[in-house]
Amino acid sequence: MTAIVRPRPMLLTLALLLVLIVWLSLALGPVSLPLRETLLAGLRLLGLSIDGDNTQQAELILGQIRLPRTLLGIAVGAVLALSGVAMQGLFRNPLADPGLVGVSGGAALGAAIAIVGGSMLGGMAPAIEPYVLSACAFSGGLIVTAVVYRFGRSNGQTNVATMLLAGVALTAMAGAGVGLFTYLADDATLRTLTFWNLGSLNGASYQRLWPLLIVTVGVALWLPRRAAALNAMLLGESEARHLGFDIERIKLELVLCTALGVGAAVAAAGLIGFIGLVVPHLMRLLVGPDHRVLLPASLLAGAGLLLLADLIARLLLAPAELPIGIVTALIGAPFFLFLLVRGRS
Amino acid sequence: MLRANNLAVRRGPRTVLSNIDIQLQPGQVLGVLGPNGAGKSTLLAALCGELAVSEGSVSLEGRALADWPGQDRAKRLAVLPQSSSLNFAFSVNEVVGMGRLPYATGRVRDAEIVAEALRAADALHLAGRSYLALSGGERQRVHLARVLAQLWPGAEGQTLLLDEPTSMLDPLHQHTILQAVRDFAERGAAVMVILHDLNLAARYCDQLLLLQEGLPHAYGPPAEVLTAEALAAVYGLEVLIQQHPERGHPLIIAR
Amino acid sequence: MRMKTLLACTGLLLSQLASASEPLPQRWVSAGGAFTEWVVALGGESKLVGVDSTSQYPRSLQKLPGVGYQRALAAEGILTLKPDILLGSNEMGPPPVIEQLKAAGVRIEMLSATADMPTLQHNLNQLGQLLGKPAEAQHLMDSYSQRLKNQANLVSQAQQHNAAPRALLLLSHSGGNLQVAGKDTLAAWMIQQAGGNSLVEHLGYKPVSNEALLALDPQVIIFAGGRLQGDEARAALLTQNPVLGQTSAGRDGRIVVIDPTLLVGGLGPRVPDALADLTKAFYPDSQVLTAEAKQ
Repeated sequence: MTAIVRPRPMLLTLALLLVLIVWLSLALGPVSLPLRETLLAGLRLLGLSIDGDNTQQAELILGQIRLPRTLLGIAVGAVLALSGVAMQGLFRNPLADPGLVGVSGGAALGAAIAIVGGSMLGGMAPAIEPYVLSACAFSGGLIVTAVVYRFGRSNGQTNVATMLLAGVALTAMAGAGVGLFTYLADDATLRTLTFWNLGSLNGASYQRLWPLLIVTVGVALWLPRRAAALNAMLLGESEARHLGFDIERIKLELVLCTALGVGAAVAAAGLIGFIGLVVPHLMRLLVGPDHRVLLPASLLAGAGLLLLADLIARLLLAPAELPIGIVTALIGAPFFLFLLVRGRS
Repeated sequence: MLRANNLAVRRGPRTVLSNIDIQLQPGQVLGVLGPNGAGKSTLLAALCGELAVSEGSVSLEGRALADWPGQDRAKRLAVLPQSSSLNFAFSVNEVVGMGRLPYATGRVRDAEIVAEALRAADALHLAGRSYLALSGGERQRVHLARVLAQLWPGAEGQTLLLDEPTSMLDPLHQHTILQAVRDFAERGAAVMVILHDLNLAARYCDQLLLLQEGLPHAYGPPAEVLTAEALAAVYGLEVLIQQHPERGHPLIIAR
Repeated sequence: MRMKTLLACTGLLLSQLASASEPLPQRWVSAGGAFTEWVVALGGESKLVGVDSTSQYPRSLQKLPGVGYQRALAAEGILTLKPDILLGSNEMGPPPVIEQLKAAGVRIEMLSATADMPTLQHNLNQLGQLLGKPAEAQHLMDSYSQRLKNQANLVSQAQQHNAAPRALLLLSHSGGNLQVAGKDTLAAWMIQQAGGNSLVEHLGYKPVSNEALLALDPQVIIFAGGRLQGDEARAALLTQNPVLGQTSAGRDGRIVVIDPTLLVGGLGPRVPDALADLTKAFYPDSQVLTAEAKQ
């Protein structure tokens, strides 16, 4: 298969852009560090012992605040974009969003249970609070997705349309659950819930990073192995079957990748919209619909875009910061409208 | 060789297809005819494993269809559905290239085959275009090229199932496409094609199966199947049957 | 009482010991409305370099850089302010950010926002030490408890002649739905302290239907709303919620407007004043109060 655009230069460009954005994400922040100090601190963090200036503060900011945050941003952006590609392939619809299979709704419900339930039980120890929240959000997403998938199954086959409708219904039910907990919440927990729903990379730490990193690496390695199958799926399910693909298995894998990926991302950073929808869409315009190029391109662009949004989120109102979900929606929604209008003319 | 033994398909209490015993012979084109709802597409779906059969069996090369591993089956059996819902901006080359997904023949060989299949479907000039920018007839030819590429160059042991491949084509392309299918069959593959145009069927098919309400009404060479009585019985259509002055196959003229 | 003085003295002693061993924090970030007010009351406003979104009072604080909501703080943002200390309630977070700030050498001072006197005593003690003004802190504490005690006396005197009025606190932001303060809120505590009869059984701030409002039939409505004050706020409340006009409070025009920032973050320095106002509104005819007010 030969693509219309030459994919390699495009992927290379995206990779270089990501490197640049990663550099910005490490070098910029509310605290302005001199370039020399940043570099020295970076080298020291890499284990090189360089004598000279006192870079303790820079090392701390770089190593304990910006680096975990940047890694979190890369992982969340990449896995959301990849899941978006997987869902748009599964539903053969360029407007599909990873949330369609209920994973976001379920995760939100899990988080609401953790935040509000935890506070009603008299509060949790601050040390375990984030872990409980992540675990609840992750399992909430997984459980609801499993139920949605179950509804889509009949006679050993998965009906994607039924799954879509089940996803809508269960997301609405999860929304009602969140509403109930919102009602039960006191003022402070209510605001925590609201903030969680807007997402943030704030408070990234290595301890909470690794589950997401493992899932992201897993999804990023697994989905490209299914690139050919995803291409065939776009022709239609029976066409893909006639081309020799075990599509029931592929569908299960796609749903599983999305549930794990989005679940882990949401558990680590809250609900962040539009990346999963806009990035695959945009990349399809740039590199074409061939998943062998689209998947790596979306991974790179998703990571880059999320880091960029996070930079805005933490710089705009410094020393306070904006929830990143606001930034991605504010950039994503108008951009999406632009694509719609352009596509129409 | 694809073989159906005493095939029956039921949907709920209704039997939509039964008593089907057919063999798709290497090098031959089998045409399936019948009015709307006679069970033509059901037959095709049952033959390619898309629909579970209620009775009887389907075998490919002497082996039950379901026992074939997906990729091996894809190298022997290609199916062109009536319509496609592809809604993504692949290039024509990419769409036809998907026919090569079951193979690992390499980029260079695949590109050659894609070009040959496109030429056979008279669509080589569309190669670099975006699929979404094509007309309905052009898309139909591209998909035909795709299934041809899946079995290219076509040999004994391979089977091609086509569901109304000419439904959106202009008269010239109806002929060029069916001629391409014939040429393909000549290289050894077995072909089954669902058609509505009786004269096209008479001209390009070696065997015809005339279906009526899920039952085979007639099965044999065109001259035996396309009789005025049979067509009156199945379609309720009064026709004159003559011989093509140059080619000798039956020519059907409505009265 | 003697016990308390003893405690205070010990605190004073300890604070002097502490101040001898380490320098007092000079740059303060405060994330909690009531705590910020106490810092200001103790003369520490010039040491504040940043405040959170709940620190709305006094208004002069709004010139300071904002660090966002107390439960969604940003480590690096706060570090730009080069603070020595971050003051806040034990709800302050998220926890990883607090850890990062600690690692960066910022002293984290978490105080309880529980609305009771022992907590306040402890908090003021702590703030007094950290600001190097333990005596002033103790003085503030003593006069605070004295005022509350006077308040309690006034209320019990007033209640000899009048029944406690049924009171309800309504919270509304920018004309949104009315929410009624529940029995576990600072608002309910204030109603009790001011001698009112708090009507509600629910917890937290909850929307309540019009019919339920009519059934509760409060004699006094305390309204904590947005920017409007006094008569304007009263008029706006009645226009937006005509049903309130059908309650006793609405008919008699007994609607008290208070600043909603009073209700956030525990007992603040403005609470005694607010309580006095409330008591006045609860018992408008009481002789004792009029006499006391002139004091």
